[in-house]
Amino acid sequence: MSLNPQVAAVTRIRVRYAKGNALRFIGHLDLQRLWERLLRRSKLPVRYSQGFHPRARLNLASALPLGFISDEELLDFWLDSPCPLTEIQARLAEAAPPGLKIHTVQQIDPKETALQVQMKASEFTVSFYDPPAATELEQKIAWLLTQEVINKTRRKKTYNLRPLVLDMQVINTLAGERELWMRLLAEPAATGRPDDILEELGFPNTAYLVRRTRVILG
Amino acid sequence: MTQKSLQQRIERILPTVTKPGRYVGGELNQVVKPWDSVQTHVALVFPDIYDLGQSNLGMALLYDRLNQHADIAAERAFSPWVDMETAMRNEEIPLFSLENKRPLIDFDIIGVSLPYETLYTNFLNILDLAGIPLYSKARDTHHPLVIAGGQAVFNPEPVAAFVDAFAIGEGEEMVFEIVAAHQSWIASKGSREELLTRLAGIPGVYVPALVAVKYHADGRVQAVESVHPAMKLPVDKRILAKLPSPLNRFLVPNVEVVHERVSVEIMRGCTRGCRFCHAGMVNRPIRERSVDEVLTAIQAGLDQTGYEEVSLLSLSSSDYSEIIPLIEGLKALLIERQVDISLPSLRIESFSEDLMDVLQSLSPGGGFTLAPEAGTERLRKVINKPLSDAELMRTVRSVFQHGWKSLKLYFMIGHPQETLSDIEAIADTCKAVLQEGRQIAGGRAKVHAGVSTFIPKPHTPFQWSAFDDLTAIETKLALLREAFRGTKIKMTWNDPQMSLLEAWLSRGDRRLAPVIESAWRKGARFDAWGDQFRIEPWQAAFAECGLDPDFYSSRERGLNEVLPWDHINAGVRKAFLLDDYQLSLAGEIRPDCRERCYACGILASFNHLRLAQPGGGWKCP
Ligand code: SF4
Repeated sequence: MSLNPQVAAVTRIRVRYAKGNALRFIGHLDLQRLWERLLRRSKLPVRYSQGFHPRARLNLASALPLGFISDEELLDFWLDSPCPLTEIQARLAEAAPPGLKIHTVQQIDPKETALQVQMKASEFTVSFYDPPAATELEQKIAWLLTQEVINKTRRKKTYNLRPLVLDMQVINTLAGERELWMRLLAEPAATGRPDDILEELGFPNTAYLVRRTRVILG
Repeated sequence: MTQKSLQQRIERILPTVTKPGRYVGGELNQVVKPWDSVQTHVALVFPDIYDLGQSNLGMALLYDRLNQHADIAAERAFSPWVDMETAMRNEEIPLFSLENKRPLIDFDIIGVSLPYETLYTNFLNILDLAGIPLYSKARDTHHPLVIAGGQAVFNPEPVAAFVDAFAIGEGEEMVFEIVAAHQSWIASKGSREELLTRLAGIPGVYVPALVAVKYHADGRVQAVESVHPAMKLPVDKRILAKLPSPLNRFLVPNVEVVHERVSVEIMRGCTRGCRFCHAGMVNRPIRERSVDEVLTAIQAGLDQTGYEEVSLLSLSSSDYSEIIPLIEGLKALLIERQVDISLPSLRIESFSEDLMDVLQSLSPGGGFTLAPEAGTERLRKVINKPLSDAELMRTVRSVFQHGWKSLKLYFMIGHPQETLSDIEAIADTCKAVLQEGRQIAGGRAKVHAGVSTFIPKPHTPFQWSAFDDLTAIETKLALLREAFRGTKIKMTWNDPQMSLLEAWLSRGDRRLAPVIESAWRKGARFDAWGDQFRIEPWQAAFAECGLDPDFYSSRERGLNEVLPWDHINAGVRKAFLLDDYQLSLAGEIRPDCRERCYACGILASFNHLRLAQPGGGWKCP
């Protein structure tokens, strides 16, 4: 299949979707493959690379660590020929596996920069399997926010975690549970990881469930 | 423990293990039925990790067929990888199904797939993780019924003590008869013995508890006798006169598995009669699926999965009589969807220039695989895979001329009547092939030699032969490595010790049960995995049980000996195998039986089925 040479005819589509519990333990690379297959099943005129093994051109806003769920994820893909948005949405929803819910589909200016470059921040809530006392949480947050440098090592690289935390609070859910809310920097070279922060606060990754609630573009 | 809390406990250990997506299910096209909505719960178990088991077509077919039945729910379970096993044992989490996350012990029937013998320790580990007694005789009416099937159980004896009933042969119809027997037994409120005798009445089902084995003083089997009138011996394998409909619901894994492609079986069975080939003997007769049926299945598979590759499965794809029309018919679909095709198992002498033309146009760039299996014309006659050197080189030339750059050649070492000059000939053949390739494709031509060790398998003409001596195998491998040194030929080989284990387990009798148990207790698991397999626990286990492993692997069996698997009828008569064995000793071949029937026993055993379901699929003349 040859690519459509008229750039003007190429449509860029942005999908907002949720990654639910059924996909909680599906990592970033697997999620990319999942989207490629979803797009193939949708039979939309998706733009593919050339060569023996053509691949759909995909652009995910920000990798979600394994074990997290999300209310809001963003993905861009490209179409070789236009298609009504309602039809795109319907076809994606039909091809989606359990746990992936399509919220909205919109058309984007093809000249916009890549989603990863536009990323500014993400918001997360953390629910605990054995919720700690409110005062304990408050104290830990207060401690963290007063620090200037908190060095953390991930994959043999040490970085200062503190400036990546933009804000943090204890919240109460409608169900009356105490949860942690945080807004973390998510720029291409400086992305905060909730699990690193929680580890710093003394919570192992078997103690909680993280949900991304919002991604903020610049 | 409540069901909810089990689910939560599972979720809490998952962040600590590698690739947790293996243990969660929830894939597209998974079937989850409310637990209380069906009468019979079947857990289909593949005793290796999800990544392998989920790619197993046999298990996928049973899952699909069983779940089409309103009264049955089939759920899946696989072996946890070592880190997950540790986490589960620490937290006392029993092995659970992926669909409803139910402990395996809650199921009515556990159906275990045993395609090869190196899964036996994993099988025991699964029973143990599920809290089910290892030995059949220790189970009572509260325990699930443990059924095993698959290619390995054509010799069921080594695992007979752990299995309540074996399904011998093709299971697609048999499973429903087993479920029906279980349901009527439940209604009858009968004893465990009554369940076993009901099962024994189903054709193809073997209940080892109803059969007694007597041994000679030297350990050879003296006699195998039924101890209950319901258990008739021999047990004839089950076959279907016509291949059942292909998979119609394709599950799409969320985590990466070994085969991510739409696999459709185009043909079952093989009539070439290679004497080393277990699959070729036990899967007779040849039955083909129609081109239309294959095309429809592939289209449905691609629509449902979004996969980028299609694979046509059979033991010998180029022998499928409609192979060119099939590939031609697929062409448009493959090009439109930008899908790759893989066609494993091409026979050197049976694929044509035409086939190479279409394959090259559809899937350029890939490698090509041929399996001469032995280095000399003489030895190829002994193993009944006759092929002249000239014919081999003609094919090789043609492959390179069609544009393929890389060629993989499969060989086996340790064949009966093999000499070192046969091994040297393997090296010479590979070198000649590379030279041929270079003349056509220049410096980009690549040759890869894959070398495995011959295992004399039950129900083949070589079942009387011995497994080659381990030091002899090492010498042969060293000779090959030396011969390839400094050449551009890459060689890979199987661990001969792993083949030796396979020889013990495939040629064994009932006395192996405590050996398998002991090896498992000493930590043997994942014996098919190069990085996990260790021979030491096995050697220690044999010693502990007072058995000599060489007795099973290294001894030529007497022609009049009762073989431990003689009471299982795989369709091909022992007299036919013996005849063929003697032909091999004389260096004589027996050509493909598609042209001329040699009365192997298949038609004699199953002609009534063929008459009841006439049609073009069954290829015996
Ligand atoms: S019955 Fe005859 S034709 Fe059929 S598989 Fe046996 S030998 Fe071949």
